[in-house]
Amino acid sequence: MTAPVEAGAKGVGASLPRKEDDRLMRGRGDYVANRRVVGLQEVAFVRSPMAHARVLAVRKPEGAEQQVFVLADLEGVKPIVAVCGLPGFRVSELQVLAGDIVRYVGEPIAMCVAATRAEAEDLAELVEVDLEPLPVVADMLAALTPDSPKVHAHWERNAFLESMVDDDLSAVKRDAAIVVRRTVRTARQCMAPIEGRAVVAEYDRRLDQLVVHSATQMPHINRTGIAECLGIDQASVRVVAPDVGGGFGYKGILLAEEICLGWYARRTGRPVRWLEDRYEHLSGNANCREHHYDITGYADASGRLLGIDCEAVVDAGAYSLYPFSACLESAQVSSILPGPYVMDRYRCHTYAAATNKPPILPYRGVARTGVCFAMELVLDAIAREAGREPWEVRMANVVPSDAMPYTNITNKYFDSGDYPECLRRTVAALDVPAWRARQKRGEPDGRRVGIGLAIFCEQAAHGTSVYHGWGIPMVPGHEQCFARLSPDGALELRIGAHSHGQGMETTLAQVANEVLGIDPARVRLIHGDTALTPYSTGTWGSRSMVMSGGAVAAACTVIAERVKAIAAHLLEAAPADLELADGDVRVSGTDHSMTLQEVAHAWYRQPQRMPPDIDPSGLETTAGYKAVRDTGTFSYACHACAVAVDTELGTVEILDYVIVEDGGTLVNPMIVDGQVYGGLAQGIGSALFEEMPFNADAQPLASTLADYMLPGATEMPTVRMEHMTIPSPITRFGQKGIGEGGAVAPPAAIANAVNDALHDLGVEITECPITPRRLLAALAEAKAGR
Amino acid sequence: MTRIALKVNGQAVERDVAPRRNLVDFLRDELNLTGTNVGCEHGVCGACTLEIDGAPARSCIAFAVACDGASVRTIEGFDDDPVMIELRAAFNAEHALQCGYCTPGMLVTARDIVTRLPDADEARIREELSGNLCRCTGYVGIVRAIVSVMAARKSSGGGR
Repeated sequence: MTAPVEAGAKGVGASLPRKEDDRLMRGRGDYVANRRVVGLQEVAFVRSPMAHARVLAVRKPEGAEQQVFVLADLEGVKPIVAVCGLPGFRVSELQVLAGDIVRYVGEPIAMCVAATRAEAEDLAELVEVDLEPLPVVADMLAALTPDSPKVHAHWERNAFLESMVDDDLSAVKRDAAIVVRRTVRTARQCMAPIEGRAVVAEYDRRLDQLVVHSATQMPHINRTGIAECLGIDQASVRVVAPDVGGGFGYKGILLAEEICLGWYARRTGRPVRWLEDRYEHLSGNANCREHHYDITGYADASGRLLGIDCEAVVDAGAYSLYPFSACLESAQVSSILPGPYVMDRYRCHTYAAATNKPPILPYRGVARTGVCFAMELVLDAIAREAGREPWEVRMANVVPSDAMPYTNITNKYFDSGDYPECLRRTVAALDVPAWRARQKRGEPDGRRVGIGLAIFCEQAAHGTSVYHGWGIPMVPGHEQCFARLSPDGALELRIGAHSHGQGMETTLAQVANEVLGIDPARVRLIHGDTALTPYSTGTWGSRSMVMSGGAVAAACTVIAERVKAIAAHLLEAAPADLELADGDVRVSGTDHSMTLQEVAHAWYRQPQRMPPDIDPSGLETTAGYKAVRDTGTFSYACHACAVAVDTELGTVEILDYVIVEDGGTLVNPMIVDGQVYGGLAQGIGSALFEEMPFNADAQPLASTLADYMLPGATEMPTVRMEHMTIPSPITRFGQKGIGEGGAVAPPAAIANAVNDALHDLGVEITECPITPRRLLAALAEAKAGR
Repeated sequence: MTRIALKVNGQAVERDVAPRRNLVDFLRDELNLTGTNVGCEHGVCGACTLEIDGAPARSCIAFAVACDGASVRTIEGFDDDPVMIELRAAFNAEHALQCGYCTPGMLVTARDIVTRLPDADEARIREELSGNLCRCTGYVGIVRAIVSVMAARKSSGGGR
């Protein structure tokens, strides 16, 4: 449910159907793999089959010396290094092809080039690699013990970063009537966009420029990284991200493969491509979400939170990747664990553990999914101790409505919102009393019904002041947009962020409509090409609608002023009396007007009609934007669900699912709903299905999509969603970043519902995904313990 | 190399292909029909779904040589198809796609559901979609779009 928008409206607030759909539905999407290049060769990588080993020798097949490349061949190529500025950060170097040591299964060892992918794979099979196994660090908790083997031999401890938010908890320990301590764990996952990574590298002789087409969320960052690793000027590199088949964080990274292919294309002048296949993705790139918490909640007898004490470990894998580094996730854990709650004391000790597993990347929601899972399980445990409904305990602990804007215990600035109202609406929508009554009656099929909820906040579009503190290779500043009204009155927008499902070709046209009154059908968005667009850190952190939306509005505002200046002269009116609407410039209160097209035509083709004092900059401009505060918008949501648990089969069916979310002003409510639904499906995957298990040798055990279970249409419940639209006071239209939230709460809400269903059997699940095996084991353990 | 002759989107095609060449690579790399996307190469995700002799099939696990004599229809071949026109309008109206990568395969499956099971309810539609994975939409818009096309066809008496 959203606020009604004027019929026929096309600006901010309209559920305009997407402009980008038509080409994608006709099979005319322009994905990297669709690029046709004469003489294109294909690459297959030889990858490490061991999680930790010394590379003794790599022997190229005889006669294939010019087709197989190892690190020693890559003259002048530098390793990928992503340093984090937080004190004590331990630095790793990822060679783009293996050096002396390989540190995870899937690490590239050699690059094989042939006419077809099949022939390149044939070649890869003929490459002989001698590996001497080294002791493997497979588990993040074991990794931190003093006698653990080391992932990086010269490190004192297998930790990229240890950080501490300290506090004195003695008073809350003394006063707490309720103390709950839980061990909470989330599984390692694959992000699994349906399109894998993809790179085509070509050399443009005319411009002496390496042109890399890559399925990336951040073409400008990749360009910077590629140039740095190849040791060349950034002007010598152009990165193009055409249509990209899903990102979710998986494509927010500088790839070793991009460097290798870039080096080859520059050295030989020949075009070359690498398309990641699903086996490479599953076996070598399960790189997110693996957290462990030892968390204690202190509360008074009513369930009011007094303090949280937590030791959190994030499995960061073997290397620190560019640009987000190995520390982003663990640093976020300690800063966002308190979530939407008020508390007196807070202490959190976090580790980014190094293991012989794929290097960590931030997945949709980043650390939020894990911290929400940990906090919300603790809140439910407190509610059970207090003998109260979980929602009542949350009501007693969330930031009160009248406290906004609110600075929380970790100094996060909540820009706006009404958390109690969000809870109230969710509880009403789920109809808690009806479910409690049904629970009492029991199910005819013997299953057990339970309800659960989770509330969280999502800091998004956070900028300089947050990121410079982390000191990672990429700190976002102002965001820019280039806008040009063309001679036919159409509008061209160029942005440095990238749209790969978010619908920005539509939503940014709506922003232009809001400012210039131009029909979105006459707005064309150009993005994803470093040669054509302003520099940007790209699309991540639910930032684009706030940042690019703000930049587009800023550029359109400049264009609007210049249009008015010209029209004022031609219409013989004062600029202040002019208004822009429906593609026209009108003198307010009259029927005197001219079209944008007529203004543009006059500027470009009849300059003799311009006044002598006209602004010579014309109908094009680059304008920049930063939110009033760059600490981020705080969207938030409450998810609630009802589940039925089959204690014989260990299965969980979601019977009802409700989301109440505040994304501030919704630029396109239909697209916002789509983002939340999509996030929810991924969150349900995290909650119930998706897990990449590793054995003691850190070998990944799910190498096909029949083993790694992605949610399908039958796994998605019917969802009911409501929007609160409390505008953010710090953004251009009041919009808040909301792209990730759907994926944050489902594991917590579903686990709480399962625990509600099984509470009287003595079962409490604290690990996800809640697979049948895990659930049956918990049931058996509870039975044995009774 | 093996000589094969088949129809692709109504046009006769004759080519020499390596026995190990799968159908989707053949279509994409040799016939330049890049509308069919490759997702998993082991027949699970459904991104590469197209029609072989009128039935949906996985082109990543079909060998080109096995399609000798067959009639293959890719997403490009549905441009003017009346059911696909309705589905495209419904997918657009219901926001049934985001990144678009699964969409060609999803539309081929959707068209099969609409034409083969005109009375399917939502649960059956979801079951029929279980061979097509979408990572963006949570299937909400996809299911709604298929339901809406079926309802519209029923009320107009079309497509039966």
